[in-house]
Amino acid sequence: MTESRFFILLAFAIVLTVGTAAGVAPRSPVGSSIVGSVSASPGVYVPEELKVKYRRPDEIPAPPSNPLTPEKVELGKTLFFDPRLSRTGSVSCASCHHPGFDWSDGLKRGVGVTGVPLPRRTPTVLNAAWLSALMWDGRAASLEQQAVLPITAEHEMGLELDEAVANVQAIKGYAPLFEAAYPGEGIRAETMLGALASFQRTLVSGEAPFDRWINGDEAAISEAAKRGFLVFNEAGRCSKCHSSWRFTDDSFHDIGLESEDLGRGEFAPPSVVIMQHAFKTPTLRDFRLSGPYMHDGSMASLDEVIDHYEDGGKKRPSLSPEMQAVTLSAQERADLIAYLKTLQGAPLDVPMPRLP
Amino acid sequence: MRLTTAAMMAMMAMALPLSGGASAAEHTVVLHHMELDKIEGEMRVGDVVAFDNRSDMAHNLYLTYSDGTVDNLDTQVPGVTRSLTLRVAGPAVIRCWIHPIIKSEFVILDGKEDAGR
Repeated sequence: MTESRFFILLAFAIVLTVGTAAGVAPRSPVGSSIVGSVSASPGVYVPEELKVKYRRPDEIPAPPSNPLTPEKVELGKTLFFDPRLSRTGSVSCASCHHPGFDWSDGLKRGVGVTGVPLPRRTPTVLNAAWLSALMWDGRAASLEQQAVLPITAEHEMGLELDEAVANVQAIKGYAPLFEAAYPGEGIRAETMLGALASFQRTLVSGEAPFDRWINGDEAAISEAAKRGFLVFNEAGRCSKCHSSWRFTDDSFHDIGLESEDLGRGEFAPPSVVIMQHAFKTPTLRDFRLSGPYMHDGSMASLDEVIDHYEDGGKKRPSLSPEMQAVTLSAQERADLIAYLKTLQGAPLDVPMPRLP
Repeated sequence: MRLTTAAMMAMMAMALPLSGGASAAEHTVVLHHMELDKIEGEMRVGDVVAFDNRSDMAHNLYLTYSDGTVDNLDTQVPGVTRSLTLRVAGPAVIRCWIHPIIKSEFVILDGKEDAGR
C-alpha cells in the first residue's frame, strides 16, 4: 500500500469516526445501488437511481505531482492556521476559513489585513479536493494554484509570495516539518503551497443525515425532507446546477443577481456573453444555515434565496439557460428547506496545531 | 469536341478540393452531459468539426490552438450543433467556459499533408 493510499484511507477513517461518534452508522460502499427499486418509505416514492447520483466517493483525489502524505497534511495544517503568512501577522487562512463557521467566516463579505471588505463572500474550503476550478470565478485550476492567491491579495493577507516564504524560513521550527513533508526540497513556494493544498484536500464534509438516508437508513431524515429532495430535483430545478454528492456541478452560471461584478466574465472574451456575471456553483454541504448566501452575501435567508429562484433572476443575455422561474407551493418550499437542512454533517475533528 | 486549355484548367479547378489538393474532412464530436466523445482519427487544418450537444444542459465550447489563439463556439443549448473550421496545426485543446471539467486534447495536422488522403 502506498503512503498516499494509506493516508486516503486514514482520512476517511477519521471522517467515519467523527460520524460514528455522533451516532452515525458507517455508510455502504459505493456501487451497491439497487437501480430501479423503490424506497421503503411509506409515504414518499424516491427512485433509487436518483439517490445514487448523490453517493459519496470512497477516496480523496490528489494530483500525481503532489500525492497526499500525513507529513504534508500536518505541515499544511500548521501553515493554514499561521497568521505570520500575512502582512500584519494577524490573518491566517483559517481567519476566513474558520472551522467553527464550517470553514468559512459567516460574513457577508470577507475581511483581511486592511479591513477593507472583500468583493465576494468567503466560500467554504470543504470538499475542495474535488474542485476542477477554484475561486468564485474559476481563475485557479488546482488547490496548489489557488493557495497563492489569498496570500498575495492586497486586502486579504497582503504579502508578496517571496515575503511569505521568507517569513516561514525565518521560523526555526518549520525546517523539520518541511523536511519531513518534502525531504531535501527545502522551504520554498512550491512546498509551502503544496502543503497547504494537501491539508485542504483532507477537509471533507462529515457524514450528514442525508448520506445515511441515501445509504438505506429511512429514519435518517423526515418525510418532509424526502419530499424536499424530490422538489430539489424536480419542481425546484435546484439539481440542474447543485448536482453530484457535493451539490455542485463545478460550473459557472449567471443566476441573475443585481451586481456589477463580471465574475468569470473577467477572464473570458467579451464575445462569450454567457460568462458575464457568472460564478461557480457553490456546494450545499455544510452551508451556513444562518447565511449569508450567494457569491456576494447579498441574501440573508433561505426564503430569500428561494424567492430569487422563483423569480428567475434578472433577465439579460448572460442569464444561464438553466435559470428558469419556478413556482413552489408553501408546502414544497417548507419541504425543500427541511431537505436542505439534512446536508449538515458532523463537525470535523481537526485539532488546532501548535505553531512553531 | 475540343477543349481549350483555359476551359480544361477551369474544369480541373472545379474538380479539386478547396485546399491542399484534397477535400477537407468533416468530423462530429458528441457532447454527453459533462463529457466530450473522444476525438479520434486525423484532424487537419481546414477540416470542419461539428460539436453536437446531446446533453441536457447548455455548453459554451472553445478551442485553443498551439499559437494561443482561440475559437469560441458560443452557447449551445441541448440539441444544438455548432461547427468550426480548424485553423492552426499543432496541439489543441477543447474546453467549455461553463464547465471547466470538460477538456479534450488532440493534435491538428498540417492541411498540406492531406494530399494523399
